[in-house]
Amino acid sequence: MSLRKTIEVITRLAKEGAIKNYAIAGAVGALNYIEPTLTEDLDVLISLADFDKRQSGLILLTPIEQALAKIGYTERSDVGYVVEGWPVQFLPVGSPLDEEALDEAVEIDIDATGDPPLKARCLRAEHLVAIAVRLGRLKDLARVQAFLEQKAVDLNALKGVLERHDLQRAWTSFCAKASIADPLAIA
Amino acid sequence: MQSKHYPDISDIIARKQAGRRQRAKLSFAEKLDIVDALRERVRPIVEARNARRLAARQPA
Repeated sequence: MSLRKTIEVITRLAKEGAIKNYAIAGAVGALNYIEPTLTEDLDVLISLADFDKRQSGLILLTPIEQALAKIGYTERSDVGYVVEGWPVQFLPVGSPLDEEALDEAVEIDIDATGDPPLKARCLRAEHLVAIAVRLGRLKDLARVQAFLEQKAVDLNALKGVLERHDLQRAWTSFCAKASIADPLAIA
Repeated sequence: MQSKHYPDISDIIARKQAGRRQRAKLSFAEKLDIVDALRERVRPIVEARNARRLAARQPA
């Protein structure tokens, strides 16, 4: 049971076509850029094409659920499907920001020793930060602060994302809560 | 009133920050292993929390 194996299963589903477009998001996505922190689940952003849309407007994860069940992962927890001991939360693209983040996700090395090496798609730092600013919970703001302190985000790129998705006010509010001078003012 | 003298801890804060930046430079795979280890470490706390929640949901 390991997060690496969980991600391996997600990449396998993508390779087999059960997931059309995905990227690791949330705390695990942030791991690619900042120091490791404790998390309880793996967030995976996926395209709307991966959902089964009913006439009622309800969206279901039937295709992914079926693919997971086929390879033996049938357990559910409060937060998602349990894959190799880790709850996995599949999050549908819910805004133009999510859509851009998914489209521009980068491929990262998970295990370079494998044959072939294991790679997975992960959100860019500026999108992870912008999504955290939009969500605005304390844990999200703490993550934004970690990105800034560890100089893990390109400020110009972040400024562009915040402007494109009308998040300047949320950004200003974050700076006030964190008691910091706006680092984007000089970016 | 006597004025208190507090020690300067700016070097400690700077070292902590340097440590965070150092850990941020680890490979993704190394960080995944750290997260697995962190999760194992807090497992008893999480299990106790879940048991508490379950007990709270049960009718008295």
